[in-house]
Amino acid sequence: MKIICVVKIVPDVDSIVCDVENNILTGNAARMMLNPDDACALAFALGVKASDPDCFVEVVSMGPMSARPRMEDLLRLAVDRGTLISDPVFEGSDTLVTSAVLGRYIATRPFDCLLTGSHSLDGGTAHVPVQLAETLGLDQMLGIIRIDPHRFDSTRAVFEVEDDKTVTTYEMAMPGVLSVTRQSGYKLPYVTLSDMRRDVSDELAIITNQDLCFSETDVGPAGSRTKVVNRYPQTYEKKDRHIVGNDEAGISCVFNFLKQKGFL
Amino acid sequence: MKKTCIFQDTEKTQNTTDLLEVSERMYGRGQFESHAVLLADSFDPLMGSFHHIIRVAKGLVDCYDPRGICDILENLHKKNRFDSILIPGTSLGEMIAPRLAKRLRTGLVAGVTDIKKEGGHIEIIRPAFSGKILEGVLHTGNGPVMMSIRPNAFEYTPGDPLQTVVSAYTEPVSSPSAVTRLHVKENQQTCDIRDSEVLIAGGGGVKESFPELYRLADALKGRVAASRKLVDQGIAPRSIQVGQSGKTVSPRLYMALGIHGSMQHMAGLRHIESLISVNTAANAPICSLSDIVVHGDAGKFIDRLMKKIAVYRS
Repeated sequence: MKIICVVKIVPDVDSIVCDVENNILTGNAARMMLNPDDACALAFALGVKASDPDCFVEVVSMGPMSARPRMEDLLRLAVDRGTLISDPVFEGSDTLVTSAVLGRYIATRPFDCLLTGSHSLDGGTAHVPVQLAETLGLDQMLGIIRIDPHRFDSTRAVFEVEDDKTVTTYEMAMPGVLSVTRQSGYKLPYVTLSDMRRDVSDELAIITNQDLCFSETDVGPAGSRTKVVNRYPQTYEKKDRHIVGNDEAGISCVFNFLKQKGFL
Repeated sequence: MKKTCIFQDTEKTQNTTDLLEVSERMYGRGQFESHAVLLADSFDPLMGSFHHIIRVAKGLVDCYDPRGICDILENLHKKNRFDSILIPGTSLGEMIAPRLAKRLRTGLVAGVTDIKKEGGHIEIIRPAFSGKILEGVLHTGNGPVMMSIRPNAFEYTPGDPLQTVVSAYTEPVSSPSAVTRLHVKENQQTCDIRDSEVLIAGGGGVKESFPELYRLADALKGRVAASRKLVDQGIAPRSIQVGQSGKTVSPRLYMALGIHGSMQHMAGLRHIESLISVNTAANAPICSLSDIVVHGDAGKFIDRLMKKIAVYRS
């Protein structure tokens, strides 16, 4: 079976600071990481490969060259091929363009299933997996919490999706796009010490626009249909808080407040 | 006259009307024609609020088939040339909106929480970077303005009732999904925290005593909610997560136990009448939004408050 995991290397949002006055995000020093949902998707793929050595796993990402070290980390796992699509002309692309670029490359690769995360940590959206599926003419499902490894092959996948009220089991004909959430709990294996020391710099394939041949007017900000024009700080209405201790007097204060407001 | 198309909130049909507020902020009251597209049989709650209700004929498309639903919305757009298409940010909506935007080759802004109109431009506001900031986004290009709207972010105040025209959509779907629903089982968490007037929410400070929150929630006839930290650690289910990557809630009482109050968490709090926080750090960000801050351990707080309530009720 051939699996392509489409992943994103994202900044750790906790280390990003917003400079509202200058309308910039100061995240250059931010730690880059594999998007958590994407890590779960890759972990499942590697689990399949562990039980079926014939399974071929490729990891594909689109991003700046600064994503390279994190992509090389993935090659130190049991990933068979790593591909970074990177070109200055792609920078500033919205999801519509990103999915077109990813789609053009992936259409040249053999695969039975595309595995992705559901949501990206930085954008918070789930656009790319869905738009990638539309680009490739495939079915897609978000919010997957479990894929049945015994009913996952080149013809079909059976998986569970959770919402507020139900856990639903679906079957999807392959090839298709399965987007996993962190709730799945799939965890990446640890890198062995010998792999950690392995030089993988020659193993990562770099794909540029020379390979994909997009017109420069169709990618980057020029090809995008949305444009971020402003950034605002999140503001909240502050209250005159009343600080109490976690003692008899404090508990009484809370109790009286609840009673006065009709919660008791 | 502008035309706006609003797809049904399939989780709560009555919330579909709240998306009219988005259209009003873009075009002004009475300045647009509204079209609601419904999969459900019942459309009573929407009568009088929309100019047009388009009911998709029963059996035409499965309610879990985003490709089929996109066919319908794409066809309706070809016929009506909508100026805007608004999709609720539900699980289904998240799979429909990007696919439809791709087909219509138009931009999509996701998780929209506000609209600003300045100098003839419509600036679409959405939280970004886990709710740390708000981004103002302009739609460019010729396609319809497309947005997915964060649930509970807008509230519509109805005006005079409209003469709603109801029609049926019956054209066969050309590209249905090859997805089959095999089995549905009830989730243990059977209620939506957005419906609760009282939420007892736990964060990293109560990871050892999280089950205790249910006792307090029961005593106050409320529900338990959680921060992302507890969800990421597998202690609480995602369905009860509050915040940018969870739900937006508007309870009358929000009790934040052991919650620090990151921007991403506070992005999920809206119109909260009373907020009580219990925290070992009295200067945690959530404390500045609180009516009462209890400085101390949340687990001990629950025990003590439960005893007080038990004495009162006996």
